[in-house]
Amino acid sequence: MPETTSGLQIYNATPVFGGKDGWTFPKWATLGGWLAGGRNWHFAAMWVYAFTLLIYGIYIFLTQRWKRKFFSGQDLKALQVGQNSKRRTYSWHRLIYTGIIPVLILAIFSGLAMYKPAQLHWLAGLFINWDILRIVHFLTVPISLLFVLVHIIMGIRAGGLRLTRSMFQP
Amino acid sequence: MNHIKLPNYLTRRQAIQLLGMSSIGYLLSSCSSELTTKVGEISEPLNQSFGELLIKKQLLIPEFSKSAIDPKALLINSYEGTPEIDPDKYRLTVDGEVKFPIELKLAALKQIPPASIVMQHVCVEGWAAIVQWGGVRLRDLAKMVQPQDSVKYVLFESADKYTESWDLASAIHPQTLLAYQMNGEPLPDDNGAPLRLATPIKLGYKLSKWVTKVTFTSQIPKGGKGYWEEQGYEWFGGI
Repeated sequence: MPETTSGLQIYNATPVFGGKDGWTFPKWATLGGWLAGGRNWHFAAMWVYAFTLLIYGIYIFLTQRWKRKFFSGQDLKALQVGQNSKRRTYSWHRLIYTGIIPVLILAIFSGLAMYKPAQLHWLAGLFINWDILRIVHFLTVPISLLFVLVHIIMGIRAGGLRLTRSMFQP
Repeated sequence: MNHIKLPNYLTRRQAIQLLGMSSIGYLLSSCSSELTTKVGEISEPLNQSFGELLIKKQLLIPEFSKSAIDPKALLINSYEGTPEIDPDKYRLTVDGEVKFPIELKLAALKQIPPASIVMQHVCVEGWAAIVQWGGVRLRDLAKMVQPQDSVKYVLFESADKYTESWDLASAIHPQTLLAYQMNGEPLPDDNGAPLRLATPIKLGYKLSKWVTKVTFTSQIPKGGKGYWEEQGYEWFGGI
């Protein structure tokens, strides 16, 4: 949450879309009070975000979850020719759930490329130019928000509110 | 309507949920400047170590091609407009904890073998522009004045009273220039003529325009971190 709202503060200094004349986000959606404050939050929260993602990566690796929990060839088959509607729903869930992981990793790497574009020029170079880099980094946020929304709707459709509530119960 | 029973105490889970929601609300609504400053104070040393680690090897940053230069993309920023400087009376002072402090006229500066670089100028505001700069390597000036071993920082003063302070390593990076030429032309007044800082490894606010004095020092004086840094911008500003 601080990562997004401080990001909007930084966005407003020179809007990604439209440059200096572009539309800016309302003040209540931004964190830090001004650009330097927004950057304080952004470059503090980036460590928390990056390490959370790293720990998750180590966790799925050590527990071998990556073999079982993500989208696989069997899911693809289920979606293409499967007749079992529950199996198909399950595969859709796994597809969406797997698809968000590269987006989360992209958020870190596009952010790093913008944070140190000279020292990490090899990374920044992958994004072709500065404007594309900014757009990619920005888009990871609406994509992640869309994921959360779609994930919730799919959860409700699959198992109703009972399923959704059960996720938050011990 | 007796079948709806509200608990008159909080379960542990509810308490945690409320705590979570209220802290998000707090983060969103407060924008408390003290908290923001605190976050900066806690994270800046870590971010600075990361920046220093990256420049430790003094690697050359690959240049951009001349065709990538986009003069319109370079916006003009200053905090008080463009100062008037008579190029004939202009002198660059290089002093501080050095063996041979000097004062140089523009003509003398231009006799030092020049360097040129096509680089990306990145502004803290989020825009960037590819620019060609030509001028004197700061490390060549350092060789002339010979800083003592105690020197850790370099201070810059400008004709408009803008101040900056840098770490020595970034200042003597082979691609750090005091430029008097831009995009193949003499440096325009609004871009810092007669002399300005240019380097691919620092954000734009570190790149003082209208530089009149370079001081090698072992200590940054109180209040002398730099115009923007004293107001809360991060000091290192490495990219």
